Amino acid sequence: MNPEGFWQMPRLWWRERWLLVGFVERELRGRYVGSIGGLVWILVHPLILLAIYTMVFQAIFRVRLPEMGASPFVVFAALGLWPWLMFQEGLQRASQAIKANSTLVRKVAFQQELLVFAATLAAFAAHLVGFLIALLALALFGVDIHWSGLPMALALVAGLFLFTLAVGLCLAVLQVFIPDMEQILGPILSVLFYATPVLYPLMAAPEWLRGIMTLNPVLHFVEPIRAVLLGNAIEAETARPFVLVAAPLLIFPALLLFRRLSPYTEDFL
Amino acid sequence: MRLDGVGKAYPMAQGAAGRLSTLWTLLRHGRFGKSFDALDGITFDVMPGQSFGLIGENGAGKSTLLKVIAGVVKPSRGSITVNGRIGALLELGAGFHPEYTGRANIYLAASLMGMARGEIRKRVDEIIAFADIGEHIDQPIKHYSSGMVVRLGFAVATATRPDILITDEVLAVGDESFQKKCIAWMETYLAGGGTLLLCSHGMFHIQKLCQKALWLQHGAMRAFGSTADVTREYLAYHEEKSRLEKCVTEAPPPLRGDTYQIRELRLNGRPFETGPHEMKQGEALTVSGHVHSPDGRTPQVAVGLVRADGSGIYGVVSEMDNFILRRVAATDFSFGLRYPDLPLLPGRYLVRGHAMDPEGLRMLDHIETTLEIHGDSRELGVCRLAHEWYIP
Repeated sequence: MNPEGFWQMPRLWWRERWLLVGFVERELRGRYVGSIGGLVWILVHPLILLAIYTMVFQAIFRVRLPEMGASPFVVFAALGLWPWLMFQEGLQRASQAIKANSTLVRKVAFQQELLVFAATLAAFAAHLVGFLIALLALALFGVDIHWSGLPMALALVAGLFLFTLAVGLCLAVLQVFIPDMEQILGPILSVLFYATPVLYPLMAAPEWLRGIMTLNPVLHFVEPIRAVLLGNAIEAETARPFVLVAAPLLIFPALLLFRRLSPYTEDFL
Repeated sequence: MRLDGVGKAYPMAQGAAGRLSTLWTLLRHGRFGKSFDALDGITFDVMPGQSFGLIGENGAGKSTLLKVIAGVVKPSRGSITVNGRIGALLELGAGFHPEYTGRANIYLAASLMGMARGEIRKRVDEIIAFADIGEHIDQPIKHYSSGMVVRLGFAVATATRPDILITDEVLAVGDESFQKKCIAWMETYLAGGGTLLLCSHGMFHIQKLCQKALWLQHGAMRAFGSTADVTREYLAYHEEKSRLEKCVTEAPPPLRGDTYQIRELRLNGRPFETGPHEMKQGEALTVSGHVHSPDGRTPQVAVGLVRADGSGIYGVVSEMDNFILRRVAATDFSFGLRYPDLPLLPGRYLVRGHAMDPEGLRMLDHIETTLEIHGDSRELGVCRLAHEWYIP
């Protein structure tokens, strides 16, 4: 793709903005609104996970880490879990976006990246709503949520969104050519979940491990989101302005790759 | 709309290694080694307000060509220039989700065709009225019959009012009354200056709706021109094909000398074997030749005209008209037969000649050649019958 084509993309997206709206609506409606439980389901999955982790780590392992600060485990885990779920679900949905809509891609001409945008947007929107409800609920139960940190947390969520979208775009288009990606992604996400300090503070990990762990870009978003909302100091290891800027910027090479390959997806679907 | 040398090659990648190497080639902007040319060298123009039909056998590349024009598939070679908004109905109901109601699906399907939300809201009643599926509109699509899905899909397409409408075999589905409705809509659309690209196996629709036609064969253009010419050629090709499938071609046998046999046959003076012969509608046709008689007795000869599929039109034996072949040598007899103004309509026919014994009982050989008759007549059938119109 030539450089002019690249800068034309926003114009093309704008022209098909109603399609993006339609795709997002369909994603959300398909998962939540159409079902009887409706919005409740957005909260159910994270709450069950939270209950299990609290049970295992508090009631069985009796974990009590000084690095967690003053907040109880359930609060600490909740503030890490929702951002993680945004990333995990956004990536899973995005990577499947092209393949799941193969009939559409093969029969209708439109900007295919809109499918990936919609998948990521829907996952982030759903869990962001869940996250805000959870924060409110925690505040009602008397947890000291630092609301002044909310704008910073939202900015970090936006950065995480762009990073997820970048990886999602690459996976979605490569998936068409290499079907095995679907099988690989699941195990990688399981490993990444434990490699990201969601259920424990990074400082609890031994120093040699921390060096490796900080290579994970997700960590640099999840840890600070929790820190600013709990009013904790952001650990030096996770405060890497370079990563916070570079990871969202990956969206540009990702779009280049996607636009290079997307004209040929029809040949392989 | 203009297509210039458009071609599409599909990579033939097998197994994981093939896919990986194709991926690598695509990333490097290279050409893939093993590929299948679905389309090659397609060049034509369609003017605004023109209607254009696409015909060809299964696998000829019709759908691929429509996809290339619609922008779903990127051509491997050549260029396409399109002015105007394209509405493509490559598959009716492609944008529908089975779990949602017809009404909810209208929104996404219409935005897939480039409509803004506000515009859709204004037109939604019009769409529902055109689809005419009653209260089913608020049922999930999964409970629809295929005919109902098609109705809704076409209704959405009509509402978007594209400059260029591309449809692939959509008229084949849907019942009679809906087909009529679609055709009526397309006629109004064409009258209003719309450009139509229609792909159909039904020659009737092409002939009724299209001014120009393109015949695709094995991904290349076989014929392009006025609908009447192209469809006639296409139909003749199919008649010929089904005839060839039915009976093997008989090569004129070498002279055996022991039986009555046609030695030479000419059509308008040209030897039979140099076919296909061509002539204009209404011109004279002569069939002349020599017949070998092993015992020197005067043989008879039969000449027949048949359609390309082998069904007979007219046949006559020399004896029926009391014609006696002329002896030119001891065992060689000649004859000539003239049709002063052959009433056959434009198309492809076969002329057959048979030598017969002097008693006219046995047809002893069989040679045939192709005759193509050209003309602009729009009459139907195989031959013009003498007629006149009158006011009763």
